[in-house]
Amino acid sequence: MPGGPACSQAAGDSNHVNKKRILLVDDEPALTRMMRLNLEQTGRYEVREENRGASALAAAREFMPHLIFLDVMMPDMGGDEVAEALDEDPMLQRITYVFLTAIVTKRETGTGAAEISGKTFLAKPVRRDELLSVVEQLIG
Amino acid sequence: MGEDKRQSGDAMRPTVLLVDDMAANLRVLYESLNGSDYRLLIANGGAEALKVARRARPDLILLDIMMPDVDGFEVCRQLKADPSTAGMGVIFLSALDAIADKVKGLELGAVDYVTKPFHPEEVAARVETHCKIVRLERQLASRNRELKLVRDRILNAMVEGVVGLDADGRASFVNPAAVRMLGEAAEGVLARDVADWDPAALREAMSRVLAGEEEVTIRDLVLPRTGGEGLPAELRVAAIREGAVTRGAVLVLRDLSERRQAQAALAQTSDQLRESHRELKEAQMQLIQAAKLESVGRLAAGVAHEVKNPLAIVQLGMDYLQQELVLEATTTRVFQDMQQAISRADTVVRGLLDFSRERQLDLTPAAINDIIDASLQLVRHELNQRNIQVDTDLDPGIPPRPFDADKLQQVFLNLFMNAMHAVGHDGTLHISSRLRVLRSGDLGAQAREAGFLAGDTAICVLVEDTGPGINPENLARLFDPYFTTKPIGEGSGLGLPVTRNIVTLHRGSIDLGNRPGGGARAALLFRPEQH
Repeated sequence: MPGGPACSQAAGDSNHVNKKRILLVDDEPALTRMMRLNLEQTGRYEVREENRGASALAAAREFMPHLIFLDVMMPDMGGDEVAEALDEDPMLQRITYVFLTAIVTKRETGTGAAEISGKTFLAKPVRRDELLSVVEQLIG
Repeated sequence: MGEDKRQSGDAMRPTVLLVDDMAANLRVLYESLNGSDYRLLIANGGAEALKVARRARPDLILLDIMMPDVDGFEVCRQLKADPSTAGMGVIFLSALDAIADKVKGLELGAVDYVTKPFHPEEVAARVETHCKIVRLERQLASRNRELKLVRDRILNAMVEGVVGLDADGRASFVNPAAVRMLGEAAEGVLARDVADWDPAALREAMSRVLAGEEEVTIRDLVLPRTGGEGLPAELRVAAIREGAVTRGAVLVLRDLSERRQAQAALAQTSDQLRESHRELKEAQMQLIQAAKLESVGRLAAGVAHEVKNPLAIVQLGMDYLQQELVLEATTTRVFQDMQQAISRADTVVRGLLDFSRERQLDLTPAAINDIIDASLQLVRHELNQRNIQVDTDLDPGIPPRPFDADKLQQVFLNLFMNAMHAVGHDGTLHISSRLRVLRSGDLGAQAREAGFLAGDTAICVLVEDTGPGINPENLARLFDPYFTTKPIGEGSGLGLPVTRNIVTLHRGSIDLGNRPGGGARAALLFRPEQH
């Protein structure tokens, strides 16, 4: 990251240490990219993308995010399995995660995130303001 | 064998007692009868005669009248007074030839009279005649006994109850089956007159037969029984006739209760069969429906995933760009159009998901009227704005039953919205609910498919509007997913499929049509109690 194009953003750099880290796990690279762009646009978050469920744990250990967005339906390893592994890992179990899903409808989640059997869900297609308010709510 | 024959022959040989106080007379009598096939006994006075008669039970007594100790008339009176000796035949012997004595003797029960001096051939002839009578009587009695035995055996073995009636209508015999069926001991039955029988139809049948009718049959009758329920029976009263004269009647009773029970059991089995057939059919329908939904569900989930991800990308990309770009009026307008397009696509996919996922109900007892009222509240504002009157006629007597109130509210909401869109402005929405027995005219195609039958009691809800009604061409397609008559972007095409799905999950039915006065009608049926 340092030495990259972000170096030119002086204000961003000065806040670097205070930025909350968010890991986005979805098998759709365009989606994680759009989410990252919207989150980074605020200048408040450091975002990393991961497009393979099976690599999500390794990425989490390395990045140690404050929040993880997990797509439920992924071809190699589903978000629910990733979440289970997170819960069982002493290093990672305190990380907050939110499921991204196309199957739970907006009516069920309302706007913003919803808790279904103890898990937080965010329904696709998610809008920028919803995304930001959920993040704000969960990790300030 | 030979001995048996002799013994039985001996037993059948008549015993004749000769009574006279004069030895000479006794000798004459003895000699006139000896050599014939009789067993002869002798008594030389009245007292002796009584003693021998009581001990030896002769079939015939030749009895002298004039005897010093007990005279013949007295001997006869005493023998006739004692039932065990009353059956003996008595022939008086006397020198007396007075008419009065002959009459007296016959009045006392004598069978004949022989005057002294005897002619041995005459005595032999008279004795022979009476002994023949005695023999015949014995044979008759024995035959009668046999017949009675056979009769009793037959009557006892009969499943039918049999009661014999004499010419006066008094019961003369009754078999055990009749005793069982009448619930009264044989003595009680035998004491009955026609007037003692119940019911009246039975008395009438008896009277008609005793009055000359050949036979009366009553196929269906309930016999009252002491201390029990009446017995369903079939009965036949048949005349016993001699020539043209009715001598009595036979009453034959057949117990129908077992047949009734068998019939009832059969009917019940058939009902159960019909019921299980119906359940099977319902289960089959539910299976088919479930299978359909299952495939739709898998498809829906796949479609949702495939469509929502691109939508999410476009949505977020657009949101990002709106932040990055300096927006002009035209650009803003473009973004708005794009946003609407995304919302529309999202609505369609969401509807598909709803449709595929209405598979389980959360049932709690609820009153249908409350659900209707709650649904009405949600559209009240829009109804007012459109100046659509609401005319409700809800039956307060409908008992609660398990409903998924939320889902059912969605049903009514869909129907009310459709009605509102059909009416547009200024009109009436009629809503009625009833608990009532269905007539065949109430049963639309969906109701029949759901297994409702004429005669069933059901909760009936009608939602009617004063709009233009449903185009008959469209009637058959109303429940097809994605069929809509609304302008593009307004209807998902899934409202009615979802509605029907929810109703079907409640084991109810919904039929759509037009009401006679114009406007559309939705008729919903629910079973009063969910099993």
